[in-house]
Amino acid sequence: MRSNRYALLLTLTVCLMLAVAPILAAPARQPLVVNSYYSDSASSKPFEQLVAMFSKQHPEYDVTVNVVAHEDFKILLRTWLNSADAPDVVTWMGGERMRYFARKGLLAPVDAVYTPSGFDNQVAPAFRNACSFNGKLYLVPRDFEWWAVYYRKSIFEKHKIPVPQTWPEFLDACDRLKKAGLTPIAIGTKNMWPAAGWFGVFNLRVNGLDFYQDLCDGTIAYTDPRLKNAMDYWKVLLERGYFLDNHSSYGWREAAAFIYRGEAAMMLMGSFITDDIPASLADDFDFFRFPVIRKDVGLVEQVPVNGFMIPARAKNKDAAVAFLKFMASKEAQDFVANTQSYPVVYKGFQSRDPYLQKGFNLISGSDGAMQFYDIDTDPEMADIGMNALVEFMMFPVRIDTILRNLEVQRQRIFK
Amino acid sequence: MNRDHWTPYAFLAAPVTIYLVWVIIPIVQTMVLSLSDWDGVSSTLSLVGFDNYKRLLSDPYFIRSLKNNVTWIVAFVFLSLPIGLAMAMLFNNSMKGSRLFKTLIYLPMTLSFVVVGQVWSWILEPKYGALNTFLRFVGLDSLARPWLSDPGIVTYSVIAAALWRQVSYSMILFLAGLQNVPREQVEAALVDGANGWQRFRYVILPALWPSTVVTITVSIIDSLRAFDIVHVLTRGGPFYSSSVIANYMYIQAFNNYRMGYGSAIAVVQFLMTLVFILAYLASALRREVDYT
Repeated sequence: MRSNRYALLLTLTVCLMLAVAPILAAPARQPLVVNSYYSDSASSKPFEQLVAMFSKQHPEYDVTVNVVAHEDFKILLRTWLNSADAPDVVTWMGGERMRYFARKGLLAPVDAVYTPSGFDNQVAPAFRNACSFNGKLYLVPRDFEWWAVYYRKSIFEKHKIPVPQTWPEFLDACDRLKKAGLTPIAIGTKNMWPAAGWFGVFNLRVNGLDFYQDLCDGTIAYTDPRLKNAMDYWKVLLERGYFLDNHSSYGWREAAAFIYRGEAAMMLMGSFITDDIPASLADDFDFFRFPVIRKDVGLVEQVPVNGFMIPARAKNKDAAVAFLKFMASKEAQDFVANTQSYPVVYKGFQSRDPYLQKGFNLISGSDGAMQFYDIDTDPEMADIGMNALVEFMMFPVRIDTILRNLEVQRQRIFK
Repeated sequence: MNRDHWTPYAFLAAPVTIYLVWVIIPIVQTMVLSLSDWDGVSSTLSLVGFDNYKRLLSDPYFIRSLKNNVTWIVAFVFLSLPIGLAMAMLFNNSMKGSRLFKTLIYLPMTLSFVVVGQVWSWILEPKYGALNTFLRFVGLDSLARPWLSDPGIVTYSVIAAALWRQVSYSMILFLAGLQNVPREQVEAALVDGANGWQRFRYVILPALWPSTVVTITVSIIDSLRAFDIVHVLTRGGPFYSSSVIANYMYIQAFNNYRMGYGSAIAVVQFLMTLVFILAYLASALRREVDYT
């Protein structure tokens, strides 16, 4: 009995020492907490490698990365920003999504990340708007998506359809595809935002950047005749049956599968579609800029920007700035471009990948950039608006009632 | 002090405290939030009285969600109960394979609503889904519908998927209730010359009343709670056609940054459920008096 008791005491003491030892032995490193939504395998591994690269260059920081699935992240972010234990860096998007929090004083300005050279010397100027609020920067941009019409080259070649550059050419292409028994345009509106992509593109081509920006800011009525005019172009495509049948049953990936199977030809989508395209078909896909509708309106594209923010309540802001300086560096961004084929934001970005370079040229050759309807307008308005767009796509004749209802909601939300 | 006097309370103290902290207090907090305009993000909020409730009365999307919930309740009570009862009656014997059938019918119950929703979204897919393919195969092309896109039928499609799982629940509850039907009464009726239907109507059904009350209450509560299957199948779409109040509350509170408004919807849902729970409790307590 006595020996048992001694054995127990000895074991407990050893365990206690083992538990305490690491704490005593660890050097005093500055902690840094990063919360990210890079949760799928294509994006989580590269981010881990980036963090490892940073830790190698800066061993004085002890970096902890918390990965949270995208949908949960969106909800938890508000809790984190308000908590006394806020993380030091969070991943997020630009535009209204960022401004919503900046307006409430929940974000710390990130201008320090770009000293001494300055934001405009490091980042392509098209992105400044998406990262600022009230003259200060709150988002450190890293990569972006561009929206364009993706299509299968083999289908276009088989039916001898040239890549359309103007609206009449686009209608002609759709008509020929339909006559060949294919669905010209695939779209999946179960999650609604692909329809918002079409809404944006018609507004930008017919009414221009300022109009669309004001519409998202809630200062233009939804019953404005210019909006109706833009929707009328969309109506033409709907009435001629160029879209996929029963698109509200499909998420965007299920709709894209129609293109992979050769039953549909085109899809207006963000550049992340390349993550979904099967490897065997990767070479058969290309994209073109959505055709010009009015020659007097500038070429503006939808370019959601992704990056990082620093919560106002972060404890280790210096560590956060050091981390973000690394993320904003050419080295880190080239790594992202090469491993994930995402276009990145630093000025003068050149890629050996012709596909990426084409995307970057699409943006630098544009007259301006917007985020995206559900990123640039009030979240409640976006939800009601996108539902209305799906209803319009299914029942185009209801356009007047739909716009009237949207206007009623706009007045309530933006009063 | 007599130990027996305070021992029960000592044992109750811990669970009651947990219940108070994790259930009662949050309910009260939600009720307070429903009187505010909190967006779920800011560290301040202002109380706006009953504005949120006034807005609910005229919110067309909330009204539509409420109407859909009524459809859910009607379907759950008037479809899952009779079908569950019929299956319980059918398999409540020792015929060959009855246990196998009971297990097979019970299997959907083991699946979460999210899984059920995912599976049914494939079955109901308009072009290649199992249901439409089958209908075209047997020549009933005209019956093949866009089950989840047609605003007129989408709610019924979602309810059908939920019923597929709910029926097994009803069946189990009724099977348990059937075990409690006094055999002597059934045999006495048989001796008196009652046929199958008369035995069922006058002996078994009345004895099943406690089970029926439980099943009705559970079905109503489940239909008011329905969220995951709606969220997975349609997100409440197309344009709110299949929306239910739990789904609408989620969108308002978590997507639209309208936590105060979402809380008001939650309180309404809570009060509706409370009515049915209280009715059930009243009937259960009365019954305990009768049967003991």
